[in-house]
This record gives sequence, C-alpha cells and structure tokens, in this order.
Amino acid sequence: MRVSTGMIFDAGVVALNRQSAKMLHLQQQVATGRRILTPSDDPVNAARALEVTQSRDVVAQFKDNHNNANSALGLAEAQLSSSNDLLVRIRELAVQGGNSSLTGDDRRSVAFELRARFEELLGIANATDGSGNYIFSGYMGSTKPFGGTVDDTLAGNEIVYQGDDGQRRLQVSPTRYMEISDSGNDVFKRIRNGNGYFSTDYAKTNSGTAVIDAGSIMDTTKWNALANRKFDIAFSIDDTALPPVTYYDILDVDPNSPTVGNSLLTGAPPVLPPTAQSGQRVYESGQPITFKSQGSEPAFDLGGSVLINGDPAAGDSFSIRPSTSQSVFSTIGKLIGALEGATTGNERSMTSLANDVGFSLTNLDQATDNILRIRAQIGSRLGEVESLSNVNEDLGLQYQQTLSQLQDLDYAKAITDLTRSQTDLDAAQKSFSMISRLSLFDKI
Amino acid sequence: MSIFSIGVGGLNAAQMGIMTSGHNISNASTPGYSRQSISQGTNNAIVTGAGFVGQGVHVQTVKRTYDEYMAKQVLHAEAGASEMDSYTTQISQIDNLLADVSSGLSPALAGFFKGVQDVAANPSSIPGRQSMLSASSLLTERFHALDDKMTEVRLGVNSYIANYTKEINVYASQLADINQRIMIARTGISTQAPNDLLDKRDQMIKELNQLVRVTTVVQGEDVNVFFGKGQPLVVGAQYNTLVAMVSPEDQEKFVVGMIGEGSLPIAVPESQVSGGKLGGILAFRSQTLDKAQNYLGRVAVTIAQNFNDQHNLGMDLTGALGGDYFKVPPPNLKQNASNTGSGAPTVAFDTANMAYLSGSDYRLSFRSGQFQLLRLADAQAQTFASLPQTVDGIQIDLGDWVPNENDSFLIEPTRTGARNLGILLSDTRSIAAAAPIRTSTALINSGTGAIDAGVVVDTANPSFTNFNVTGQIAPPVLIQFDHPPTTYSLYDNTDPALPVLIQGNIAYTAGADVFPTASGLDYGYRIKISGVPASGDQFSVGGDITGIADNRNAMLLGALQTKSTMNASVNVGPTASYQSAYSQIVSFVGSKSSEVQAIGASQQTLADQSNSILQQVAGVNLDEEAANLLRYQQAYQASAKILSIATKIFDEILSLGR
Repeated sequence: MRVSTGMIFDAGVVALNRQSAKMLHLQQQVATGRRILTPSDDPVNAARALEVTQSRDVVAQFKDNHNNANSALGLAEAQLSSSNDLLVRIRELAVQGGNSSLTGDDRRSVAFELRARFEELLGIANATDGSGNYIFSGYMGSTKPFGGTVDDTLAGNEIVYQGDDGQRRLQVSPTRYMEISDSGNDVFKRIRNGNGYFSTDYAKTNSGTAVIDAGSIMDTTKWNALANRKFDIAFSIDDTALPPVTYYDILDVDPNSPTVGNSLLTGAPPVLPPTAQSGQRVYESGQPITFKSQGSEPAFDLGGSVLINGDPAAGDSFSIRPSTSQSVFSTIGKLIGALEGATTGNERSMTSLANDVGFSLTNLDQATDNILRIRAQIGSRLGEVESLSNVNEDLGLQYQQTLSQLQDLDYAKAITDLTRSQTDLDAAQKSFSMISRLSLFDKI
Repeated sequence: MSIFSIGVGGLNAAQMGIMTSGHNISNASTPGYSRQSISQGTNNAIVTGAGFVGQGVHVQTVKRTYDEYMAKQVLHAEAGASEMDSYTTQISQIDNLLADVSSGLSPALAGFFKGVQDVAANPSSIPGRQSMLSASSLLTERFHALDDKMTEVRLGVNSYIANYTKEINVYASQLADINQRIMIARTGISTQAPNDLLDKRDQMIKELNQLVRVTTVVQGEDVNVFFGKGQPLVVGAQYNTLVAMVSPEDQEKFVVGMIGEGSLPIAVPESQVSGGKLGGILAFRSQTLDKAQNYLGRVAVTIAQNFNDQHNLGMDLTGALGGDYFKVPPPNLKQNASNTGSGAPTVAFDTANMAYLSGSDYRLSFRSGQFQLLRLADAQAQTFASLPQTVDGIQIDLGDWVPNENDSFLIEPTRTGARNLGILLSDTRSIAAAAPIRTSTALINSGTGAIDAGVVVDTANPSFTNFNVTGQIAPPVLIQFDHPPTTYSLYDNTDPALPVLIQGNIAYTAGADVFPTASGLDYGYRIKISGVPASGDQFSVGGDITGIADNRNAMLLGALQTKSTMNASVNVGPTASYQSAYSQIVSFVGSKSSEVQAIGASQQTLADQSNSILQQVAGVNLDEEAANLLRYQQAYQASAKILSIATKIFDEILSLGR
C-alpha cells in the first residue's frame, strides 16, 4: 500500500482526537457522578428517569399529606377523647341526680355542675386547629359550628349547627382520598335517640307513677319493614271490677296510616271504659309489653317490647315513636331541665324525673356510642395512614433505587475505563511522535 | 553531435523531474493537491545502416495522479458527514436543555403540582395559595425559557440558511470562473492538462459539497454542478444565485430560493435540498425543531386548558365560581402569501378533546370546491365538503373566508403554546380550591341513606347563573323520599319552609346518580344516594358558600398531575400524563440526537476511508519525493557526464590535428 505523508498526520490526529473525546466524556461522567450526561447518551432511560422522578416526587407529596392527615386526625381524636371523658362524668351526674332521696339543693348543685360540663362540651365542639380553622364545622372552616347556650336549650331551642356536612379529605395514595374531618352534625347531633329504633316518652298529663324504659328491639327487620311507626300505649282502668283492673291498649297514631286511631289489639277504635271483653290487655307492673299479637288479637308484630314499672292512672299514656336524631346538647339540656324542674316530695314530679333521667341515660349512652364509633373510624384512618406511610417509604426507596440505576454512574467501571483510555491515549501519542519523526530527508 | 543533444535532453528531463518533485514537496500539505509526476518518452531514433540509433529522452507531459471514482465516493460521504455534523450541532443545543435537572420542565412541573397539593392540604391558608401562584409563574417561566431557546435556535436556522446560501453563491461564481479559465488554458494546447487548476476546481467542489450535496457532470472541459434533485447551480461559465427568502406559506421562516429567469426568487422545495450543512440545518428544522416545539406547546396548552376546565368547576375563597387560571394560547393560523381569496377561517381548540392534539401542523387548502386538510407530520389528508370540522382536538370554522381555488392556510395548533402561556389569576383568594356545592343529610332521617359529597361537572349550567351574586345554586334541591321509600321527589328548596315540587315519583336505585334524571333534568352536578333511606328522609344540595376549608376542587386539580390526559387515540383514549408527554419529547430529541450522531460518525468514517484511499493514490509521500530527488539528481549527474564525455571525445578528435 502506498502511504502519503498527509495520511500519517491525518490518521494520527484523528486517533488522538477520538481518544481525547472519549476521555473528556468519561471525565465528565466521573466529575458529575451521572451516567447520562445528555439524553442522547441513553434516550430511553433518560426519559424514564424523568418519569420515575415524578413518581418519587408524588410519593414525597403523599408523605407530606400523611403528616397533615395524621395531625388533623390526631387533633380530632384528642378532642373526642376529652368529650368521651366528659360524657362519662355527665352520666355519673345523671345517675346521682336521678336519686329520688336527694334534696332540692343537692339536685340544683348537680344541675349546676352539669351546666359547667355542658359549656365544656360546647367548647370542645367549637375547638379550632393550629391554623384557626374550626375542627367540627365541615367545609366552613371559619364558621363557628355551634352557637347558643344552655339556657337556649332549656327554653326548648336547639343548639344550632352552623357548619355543613362536608368531610375534608386528603389524597394519601394514588387512589385513596382519606377523610380527615368529621362534621359537627355527625359527631354531636346525628345521634339516634331511644334505643336507636324507637324512642319512648310519657305524656305530660300522666298522673300515675308508671315509669317506662327505652324499650328493646327483638327483630329489627320487622320494625324497619313497618310503614307506620307511631304508637301510643294508653292505660285505662276497669273500676267495676274488684279490685280494679288496669288495662292497656296499643294504638296506631300515625296520621299517614289508614287505620289511625285504631287499636292494634282489636283492629277497631278502642272501647272505653274497658271490660274483660273489650280487647285490651291486662297491665302488670314490670311485665314486658310485647308489640306482638297474642291470642285472638289480629296479627301484628312490631318486633319490639317495652317495660313499664309502677302504677299508671287511667288516661295515662306513653308514646312509641321512631328514633330521630337528638343532639348531645339537647340530651344534656333536657337532663338539666328535668333536674331543675323536679320538686322533692311531689310524687308526680318524681315520676317525671325518673322517666326523664332514664331517657337521658339512654341518650347519653347513644351519644357515647356515637363518639366511640367516630373515634374508631378515626383510629382506623390513623392506622391506615401509618400502613400507607410504610408502603410509601418502601416505594420512595424503590423509586430512588430505580432512579439511581437509571442515571447514576458505576464508578468502578468508569475509573477503569478512564485509566484504560489514558493508556490508549498515551500509546497513540508515543506511536505518533515515533512515526512522524521518520523521514528520508534526515538521512540525505 | 547527437551525443550532445542526448546529454542535454537527459539534463532537461532530470531538471524537470527535480522541479516536479520540488513542486510536490512544497505542496505536500496544500488541500486538494494531487501529486504530479513527469512522464518521459524516448526521442525518435535515427535510421542508419546499422539500425535505429536512439536519440535520448524528452518529457511528454506532467500528469497528476487522481482517482475520479474515489473522489466521487469522498464527495458522497462528506456531504452526509457534514449534514449530520451541522444537525448534531443544532440538536445538541436543545438535547442538553430538555432533560437538565435544573433547566428542564420536569422540576417546574413537579413544583407546580406540589403547590396545588399544598393548597389542597390547607385550602384556607393564604401563604399556601401564594406559593401555588409562585409555582405557577415558575412553570410558565420555564415554558417560556424552553421555548425562547428553541425560538433562538429557530432564528439561528434562518441566519444559517442566509449565510450558507451566500457561501454557496461564492463557490458557484468561483467554479464558473474556473471553468472559464480551464477552457482558456486548454484552448492553446489541448493535449496538456492544467493540473493545478483542475485540483483547485475539484477542491472547490469538495468544499461546496460540504455546504450542500452536489452532483457533477463533466461536459467537455467544463464541470456542471447540480444540487438537490437536479437543480442546476453551475453550467459552464454560468451560475445560478441562491437566496434565503421568506416562505410564502410561513412568514416566520426562511427557505432556500433560486433566482431564475426573472429577478424574483422561487422557493426550492425543502425535500429538494439535501446533504451538507444546509441540508442538515433544514432537516433539523423540519424533523426535530418543529416537532419538539410543537410537542412542548402541546404540553403547555393541554395543562392550561385542563387546569382551566377543572378550575372553572370550583369555588374560590370569596365564594365566586373559579375563573380561568391560565391564558391558553390559541392555535396559529398563517395565510399563504399567494392566496387570492379574502377573509380567513377561524381555528380554535376543541376544549373537550385536548387529549387528541397531535402536535403536528396542518395545511388547509381549497381545491375543486372542497376543503383539504393535510396533516404535515404523516402527510395524511382529509377532504371535507364544508366547514366547520373538528379534527385532532382542533375546530376549524369557515369564518369570513371566501376561498379561491388553491388558496391555503397553515395551521400550527401548538407551535406558540409554550411561548404564549400566561397566568390570568393574580389574587390568591381567586384560586378555586372548593367545590361550589355541598350536600347534607337531614337530622330527622331515620333510614341509613347517605348522600355523597357530589361532583360538579358543568358550571355553565343555568343553575349556577347567579352563583357569583348569591353564592347559591338555583334552585337548591331537596330530595325527599316518598312513602314507601322506593321513590323520591325533588323539590325546589329556595324557601326551606315551603319547598316546591320539581319532579316526583323518581325510582330510587342505591348508588345511582340522581342527575340527570330519566326525563333529562340536569343541574350541572352529580350526586349519589346510597343505603336504605326511610320514607320522609331528606337530603339537600345547596351552594357551598363560606366553605373555606373545602379542598375538593384542589384535590381534583392535583389529581391532574398523574392523570392520563394526552396522546389519545380513538380506541384507547388518553395514554399519557403531562410528565410522560414531556418525557416523550426528551426521548424523541435524545434518540434523534443519538441517531444523528451515529449516522454522522459512520459517514465520517466512510469519508475518512475514502479520503485515505484517495490520499494513497494522490497524496504526496515525502520519502518518495526524496528518493525521486536522488534519482533525478543522479540522472542529471549522469547526463552531465555524457556531455563531459562528448566534450572529451570532441577534444580527442581536435588533438589529432595538432
């Protein structure tokens, strides 16, 4: 092969350039610690690295959200825990106040403490978080959720909820939006009164000493299936018998019912005064009054029963109504009202007090259950946040690893490569200077 | 006597040999120089009785050693290599930019959505809202910065085209001149070649070829030079002038024009210009820059439009419906300079189908009474008898266009999307983090029915008409379950004391949307009731006035980050999030860049090899020339000896007479 002098120089320069470029690239990689200096080095992985970076950022965002959710839920939980303690104390006070042997002063002092507890509970319901937003006002963070005082309740007015039913949420995983607040309505107001299915009450005109309990449900499907659920238990006395016999009747009093006013026991309007043949049942104190047809009565089954103790007077009646929501404030207010309105020594007043305290205890239990239910929900949300945090942490680590694999430099390999190309460059330089020195002109 | 002439002939030949070697040595590193050598021949012999007596030597010609075939190979490879080289120089400017940890779009995009999430975590916090606004302006600034760089590169392409065409003109005129000089040089002695002029011409073609790929045709003494697909550049002593001219179709870009018969330049189609630096720069613009800038703009307009759409469904801190957050840059419409009709069509985004934006440009032309829409990226054409039409997320309306035959418009839906993206919102309170409706469950309810928080789908619905004034939807709705609770009725709850029946006897399905009702009643939001409500149970929907801790809309805004919102196809729907659509640009530019570098390297190797083979033949080897020098020196000495011997012989003869 013929070789021109230009070729020797050109080839030498090209080889030197190539080696230098390679070394520069390696040096940049080593200096930055990055395998991919520009996307063209590895287009697919460069683009993938960007996407993984976003995933990692999203995971970091979830971590922030977890912290926020944790603090919001923790704050609510602390408030609810205090209200639980309060309700326990209020229940104790109710039991104490219901004792018929108390003097008027004793009851007033119980009522006095209840008023203080009431204010305390209202304070909890109106609690704010670190940034001044009300915890239990739904979406309306700047609106004080509960207005009014205990006297409003005593005057028969509700403590009005001024927030809304909104539940604040935070995104805690790609698909999970976690509730981080509960509305005041749900916590303090949407509490079923009575036994949760029906509530019992006594007529204000009652003159006997009968006291009704909250009743119990044996078959919830039967109760729920009823189209009309308003009933009265009406007492009457057959004075012609000796001794006089007390009868009771179960009346349908739902204005929507086609049989309104009829007795369930006879299927016809009640016959008064009662006789052994007029269809009413005979009352015995302390025996359950079951809402189910017996003997020759027309078939009916409400799925429940109540217990009445004491001696009702003729014309006394008790009402059975479907449960509705009764706020914990209204429950406590009614209790205070009952305690303050009771007169020691007056039998009728004492009977009302016994009834009212009974109802209050039932409704306080309902309120406690409701708060416990919400605390359980918060607890499970906190647990979920914790387990999501763990998953999140693993995920973040994994993304970080993937990212590292995608774009970080293998130093051992890079340094080896650098050393080798240094040797290569060295050899190229030496051989070039050797071959370029050869010239015939030196010899002639 | 003939001994003298033989000696002198020998001397002359050796001298010429030394001169030629000297010429070679001194031009050893002249670009394009081909080594020359003398070719010697014997003089005509004299016929004598004893036969033919040789009469010495003469130099027939000085020839250059050149390989025409290899030279063509070099031209071919070099045009490719220099095309890829200029392509690489340009593309590396945006390649480095896009994926950079600090200057790319990704960190700004992540920062922006972090701002949104911060507002979602703390919807009433003014500092949180402020940081979201700052992150938004960072995002738009980053779009602007990326686009500025691309626009700068685009302007650079224009000036490169102007410079390259000027350089090409210089070569063309010089080639025409050299053709002329070679013809003149040959006119006297047609058998001898003007070697150095030929070398110069070949070198010039080689240099011209690095600007734009040329083909040569030898015609007599002339070399005619053509570029592209047979556009004549130099014909004999004539040459055509190229200019950089504004494209008639797109007034923002330069194309190559040729000044023909008249003095008006005519645009040379870009597909006709290939190879060399000029070809590289044109290919870079049409294959990479246009696409990258369109794709970047597409990400910008899609984010802006999606964000606005969701923001419109929210309610801000003042209790008003969310306004537009971003300024969405409209599609570009460019009129062809040669249009003869009047007016122009109107082009807008089909906001419901932003996911279908293709990132391509389109040419809308009017031919034979029909509208033809050509998607330039894949040359797919659609023909319509009339407008308006909706294609790939853009809506084309006739507007006031009165088209004449062959009139056309260039539509660039997303070219300036990144450049013109803006923020319309400046008051932190105007960020619509809340949803404008809220639902509630009546306390009297005895069933287990529950209503969800509801989703707003259309605030243009008449029920939101007075929202900004009253903060209330019209009408607020009360849903009451009938007796038995298998059906429910809708009431207008404007006066809660006296609800007015809107529609009754609607069958209840747990978990089903209440709206739109079977009869089509729709208030622009969706609510669901689930569970077992009891008769008389009530649920209500109203305005979310003062719902400052409500973050429902902010969460939906934040969810846009990872939602598939782009790259939709008809059967699959959207397939890419903003980040993956952006990564797609990075990987596209990266792959193209690495592809161009690889092709460039192989073309360069090919060019080096061909050059080396040509150099093997035509290059000067100094050792060889040194040997030649020695050879001619000895020949000279020997010829001189002949003369001295001839003189001696002559002296012998003269001495005889003494």
